[in-house]
Amino acid sequence: MAATFVVTLREAFEAALLLGIVYTFLDRIGARAQWRYVTTGGALGLLASVAMGVGITSVSGPLLDLGPDLIATTVIFAAVVLLTWHSWWMRRHASALRGDVVRRLEEARTSRRWWIVGLIAFTGVFREGAETVLFLWGLLAQASVGSWAGITGGVLGVLVAAALGWAIFHGGRHINVRTFFSVTTVLLLLVAAGLLSTGLGKLQALGVLPAGEPLWNSTWLLDDRGGIGGFLTALLGYRARPSAFEAAGWALYLVVAGILVFGRRTRVRVARPVETAR
Amino acid sequence: MSRAGQRSPSPKETVVKALMLAVTLLGLAVAPALAAEPAEIALVIEKNRFAPEEVRVKAGAPFVLVITNKDSGPEEFESKDLRIEKVIPAGKTVRLRMPSLKAGTYSFIGEYHEKTAKGRIVAE
Repeated sequence: MAATFVVTLREAFEAALLLGIVYTFLDRIGARAQWRYVTTGGALGLLASVAMGVGITSVSGPLLDLGPDLIATTVIFAAVVLLTWHSWWMRRHASALRGDVVRRLEEARTSRRWWIVGLIAFTGVFREGAETVLFLWGLLAQASVGSWAGITGGVLGVLVAAALGWAIFHGGRHINVRTFFSVTTVLLLLVAAGLLSTGLGKLQALGVLPAGEPLWNSTWLLDDRGGIGGFLTALLGYRARPSAFEAAGWALYLVVAGILVFGRRTRVRVARPVETAR
Repeated sequence: MSRAGQRSPSPKETVVKALMLAVTLLGLAVAPALAAEPAEIALVIEKNRFAPEEVRVKAGAPFVLVITNKDSGPEEFESKDLRIEKVIPAGKTVRLRMPSLKAGTYSFIGEYHEKTAKGRIVAE
């Protein structure tokens, strides 16, 4: 039960984190009416996950060999672009805030970027969604008397992830607007950096980028599969055994996106790989 | 750089860019598949275990791992060492193109049953 709990919690955590942030974001800029974009995006992501799960089980041959990887890689890179764009937008928005609520609302209305938050919700849910669906489905398919604990654990994992997303929402509503924007912008950039590094790893596995030895191995210190390591993987892009592409992509992204998003207005946050701890 | 008041790229431009990226990725990923076929090595998943649990390959030569899932539920072949995550639905066979490996041991697991499904690839 504990094992299946950890698996689904890990898979659903990133989606919960992103959903929690975008709901709170809309709440903070006084655009609760636009929640439907996020809800629709999330629901479509769930539907797409189920469709992908069914798709994977019904196709075979090259379509099964390569199809899911191509879709997954495309979704990952799309999510990186969306998150970067959103962070930039959010930052511009925050810079316009001078306690002037009316102006803030006006700008939010005129910028009309609601569909981005919907897409973020979609990619967030869809990214690990198909895997989670298949995992739970597999548990059910192999259900025997002893496996009900496993199924319970799996379902609990998804529920706890959802509760974490809600907790972010609840906490985010009460902190200062500026702090909220700053913290979530940094958080979203870290998530995007982690996604980019995952995407680069996928390209290496697909043979598009040359494969290579891991730069270092810090599994002994913190396994990226375990509880805490799993969270850091989703949150910061932590890798216990990163390839050169993964580590360089992660650090380079943070520098470039950091300058793009925080440039001039605030000090540039210098990216330092968290993984270097040894 | 990002001064307020400056126009950001329109949604259309971004969608077009994303599509271009997707098409490029597709092309890049499919191209190697058309190249000559390397050696095939069979791996079976049965009762949430891999058979054989140790796969021996030649170092420095690419190969194809042909994984067949004989169980009634899906399994995910995962190797952190090789950055591979691949779902194999129940009763299906997946052909995984593997890069040429340096001599060494590379572990893999079945993520959906990581207690029992464990194995390693030994390149020598």
